[in-house]
Amino acid sequence: MGEALVAGIDVGSHNVSAVLLGPSGILGHAVLASAEEGERAARRSLEEACARSGDLPIPEAVVATGCGRSHVSFAARRSSEVLCQARGTHHLFPQARTVLNLGAESNRAVRISADGRATAFATNDKCAAGSGRFLELMARVLEVPLEEMDELALAADSRAEVSSRCTVFAESEVISHIHRGVPKAQILAGIHAAVVDRIVELAGRIEVEPEVAVTGGLARNRALLAELESRLDLPLLVPPEPRIVGALGAAIR
Amino acid sequence: MKSDLHEARERRHQEARAWKKRTGGKVVGLFCCSVPEELIHAAAMLPVRLLGEHEDTTEADVHFPVNVCPYPKACFDQALKGSYDYLDGMVVPNVCDMVRAMFGFWQTSSPLPFLYFLEVPQKISPESTEFFTVELRRFRGALEAFGGEPIGDDAIQEAIRLCNADRELLRKLSALRVTAGVPGSLVQDATLTAMVLPKERHLELMKAALAESQTSPTANGLPLFLSASMLDESDFVRLIEESGGHVVADDMPAGTRYFQADVDEADPDPIRALARRYLEEIACPRKMLPEAHLAHMLLLLEGSGARGVVIHNLRACDCHLYEYPYFKKELEARGMSVLFFRGEETATELEQQRADIEAFIEMIEG
Repeated sequence: MGEALVAGIDVGSHNVSAVLLGPSGILGHAVLASAEEGERAARRSLEEACARSGDLPIPEAVVATGCGRSHVSFAARRSSEVLCQARGTHHLFPQARTVLNLGAESNRAVRISADGRATAFATNDKCAAGSGRFLELMARVLEVPLEEMDELALAADSRAEVSSRCTVFAESEVISHIHRGVPKAQILAGIHAAVVDRIVELAGRIEVEPEVAVTGGLARNRALLAELESRLDLPLLVPPEPRIVGALGAAIR
Repeated sequence: MKSDLHEARERRHQEARAWKKRTGGKVVGLFCCSVPEELIHAAAMLPVRLLGEHEDTTEADVHFPVNVCPYPKACFDQALKGSYDYLDGMVVPNVCDMVRAMFGFWQTSSPLPFLYFLEVPQKISPESTEFFTVELRRFRGALEAFGGEPIGDDAIQEAIRLCNADRELLRKLSALRVTAGVPGSLVQDATLTAMVLPKERHLELMKAALAESQTSPTANGLPLFLSASMLDESDFVRLIEESGGHVVADDMPAGTRYFQADVDEADPDPIRALARRYLEEIACPRKMLPEAHLAHMLLLLEGSGARGVVIHNLRACDCHLYEYPYFKKELEARGMSVLFFRGEETATELEQQRADIEAFIEMIEG
């Protein structure tokens, strides 16, 4: 393996992921939900990815991305999330011309050229509405486990209106719905629609070009994907592990 | 590294108070590039452009809703907090809704001996220039009444020469961004201080900055063009520099728009010369159609070597925001990448902006 082995690490606001990339493709990966400081979490995720790849040694070529990339002192290079998302998506889906990267705090829409370069991007405003944190907060208000909220939302036969503009106002709307006895499933359907409102708005800023890939932690939420697919009126490309696409892109050069 | 010019922006209130103490003169605050500061100089008064501070607008928030332009609000906040307690007068030009509203706010909440509402035409035409010339004569009369002294043509011409000399030095420093790697943040600090310091003091600082530019460290980031509605500090330009960019040219009120054009010293009627310069020579979305403004911007962009355009519009600055979709389309059609920020007055979002600027630069560099 030697020189050909490259590690990409994505230090996000919620997850830290690592990918080991060799000439034959992805050799292993790890995703840690971590509140640790960036350096330690990055090292731990990399060690775990190496362990899962048949105890490969930690490579010297480490490239860091994500909002905490500057804290990874052992990285040989750093690269922005926008470029890494474009590269990682292109590696998995060469036909993708747009990637919507939906994370815990940051959403970004990136247009990708045929050779995998980012050609335009937009990021969300400094606001929690439309983000993964918004869903986390709403799950807490509704006392529904985060991982179950999409299934419940998909089961709804109608939707309660929830504001997409402000997390605090949305929370008070949700509480009003609870007090009125609106079923949780309907409220959850409304919450997912509110998140998708913001994502569609963000995507509009770069003029979405098909095919469209979705990455990041929110790409594991089936209710959100269904709503987004319907709103964009496009089929979505979703990788089996959407949280590692940034780290994969970091490992590609 | 922060320059003497940057320090001078931070010390502007002390400088104005010291000038007032030393000369016994009056200090007149103003908004916007449309107010001819030469007339205030000619009246032996100190014109001071109002600038905000990057802190929560706790005092002004009592009076304003959230959806207003944060720049005048930040200035008014500073007035309410007492930072502008040395002002003897204010000139509020009729330029945009929020600045216009400042007249009433100053009248009721921060009364001063002199408060003048300057009528500025909405479009550029011979009739508008004629109107503005008449308006500037009225403004001169108001300043004479306030100062208790007539303002002679010779005093106005002297002020024009002084301001032209300062603008010439600013243009020299600005051009060095392209030819000698002078940082854009230094040029912006030079421009901001030109708006608030006594001209003689600013000329000294400019001469020193030009001399130092021969030996100072140079910027070597990716050349970028900056278009902004109002950046009343240089933090954003410095952020671009820290992120690997170099602002080589700009189109903004606290930038090239302030120093690009001189007043015609040869015109025997200095008031008419001022009207022409301040109305016809300043490219601004408030008085020109987007097509004309874009043409002006493209001239500034041409030859700058900029490889991308960063547009920073303050939230709720409608004049500039209306232009943005058209500018983006036209710039991209010319192969120029565009990065847009809807800015705030406070510096709370710098880290998110840094991430976007870094990605933008990396994207262009490929």
